[in-house]
Amino acid sequence: MKALILAAGKGTRLMPLSRDCPKPMLPILDKPVLECLIEHLASQGVDQIIINTSYLAPEIENYFSSGRRWGVELAFSYEGYEEDGQLHDEPLGSAGTIRRIQQHSAFFDDTFIVMCGDALLDLDLRALVAAHHQTGALATLALMRVPKNKVSQYGVAVLDDLGRIMSFQEKPKPEEALSDLINTGVYVFEPNIIKYIPEHTPYDLGSEVFPALARDGQAIYGVEMDFDWIDIGRVSDYYSVQMRAIAGELATVTRPGKEILPGVFVGANTRFDPRRCHIEGPMVIADSVTIEDGATLIGPLYIGRGSIIERNAMIKHSLIFDYTRVGAQASLSNMLVSGRWCALPDGFTIDPQRSGISWILADSRTPRKNINQHEQLFLEQINDFPPVTELIEQLNREHSFSRPW
Amino acid sequence: MNLINQHEQDDLTIISFNVSNLDASNADAFRKQVRPALEKSKKVALDMSVLQFVDSSGLGALLSCLRFCNEQGGSFVLFGLQRPVTALFELMRMHRVFNLFDSIDEIVGATS
Repeated sequence: MKALILAAGKGTRLMPLSRDCPKPMLPILDKPVLECLIEHLASQGVDQIIINTSYLAPEIENYFSSGRRWGVELAFSYEGYEEDGQLHDEPLGSAGTIRRIQQHSAFFDDTFIVMCGDALLDLDLRALVAAHHQTGALATLALMRVPKNKVSQYGVAVLDDLGRIMSFQEKPKPEEALSDLINTGVYVFEPNIIKYIPEHTPYDLGSEVFPALARDGQAIYGVEMDFDWIDIGRVSDYYSVQMRAIAGELATVTRPGKEILPGVFVGANTRFDPRRCHIEGPMVIADSVTIEDGATLIGPLYIGRGSIIERNAMIKHSLIFDYTRVGAQASLSNMLVSGRWCALPDGFTIDPQRSGISWILADSRTPRKNINQHEQLFLEQINDFPPVTELIEQLNREHSFSRPW
Repeated sequence: MNLINQHEQDDLTIISFNVSNLDASNADAFRKQVRPALEKSKKVALDMSVLQFVDSSGLGALLSCLRFCNEQGGSFVLFGLQRPVTALFELMRMHRVFNLFDSIDEIVGATS
């Protein structure tokens, strides 16, 4: 059985996380989403997988290589061109990529699976393919039933009594939705699908091919499937799934490292004395991390490879990406941070460099400069101040200022 | 350039910004322009509602104001912080140092 994983997208809604990392390579703990998908496909009898790449393609291609480690044959279809040592991305869209691959080698010579590279799932693909063959469909979509108030986030499929898709609605308002069955981005096709994909133009399955098939009365079916599907389209989705993974709530993701305390997993070559820090699990600390005495770490929390957490730093419910230095003055709560950016789960971003706070957040591999006079003064100033509770009491006493609570 | 405006409300001096950034380019000028108001008034509230960006120089200037007011036996509070500024304050624990209010009404309500 062959499969195509769509991995060319830029992941705009996942910025800044996807600035240096293509969306399918975002790790769930220590494992990229795409790796989880490849493992799942291999477990379901898929033996040849082609992955289309474009944005940051080498990150994907160099990691997975031939695919032998996963017991599958991997191939890549790069969409773009090279000029003067620079790669220029030219993604072809989810349908355009099928046409390109087919024109190149007629790779799809039998029923095949297509899925998006940015969702975790444990779908029974054999059952989906069996349902596809049962109806004699040209295309079969795995659908999932969601509460009516959630339909506005997804594409919705409207079925007739036989399971044939009659129409689609893209992100309808709940009151306008004709169905609560959503498209999960997992499809089964016959090679003939290529007839509906024009040449030499980017083309999309969801917005162009499927509606045309439904309009023309072609055999496009939807199958309602019950499976765990975690879409990682937005920063908030990624944050949530990571929090669940850290807490050990994802059956498909095991926590790496050694469990040194209940729920506290620590990787090799990490310098960390939990007796000298305030820690509350669950947390996963990767390899080669330095956690200085006096740090406060409150889980769920992930600290990526090679990171340095300075004394007295306070980190709570956060994701620290690889090679991040968190300064002694930092207070991170519900944040996703690296040396280059700091994001909140809703995608709001702070640029540490522009804000002049590289002593709060930086790349841990950058040699530490002596902080300049201005920064030294700032730190002295901030350390001079008592915590605000004392200030408030002082203000209350002297000027009758107080908080209303 | 005049970075700030001020007006009095009862015994409170309210200072607001004419610029959306408080950073290395104008932090010193802000410090100088705000000083007379801090010297004159015992209760100063800084309206942060138009500020969309503050860098460490700007934070340093705000700390200087707070320090000066504390030394004078006065009070210096901030209100109306926008999200980018709030996030930076929390990241650097500044929210533990400053007394922050949502609005001027909250300050007035708290003092009445």
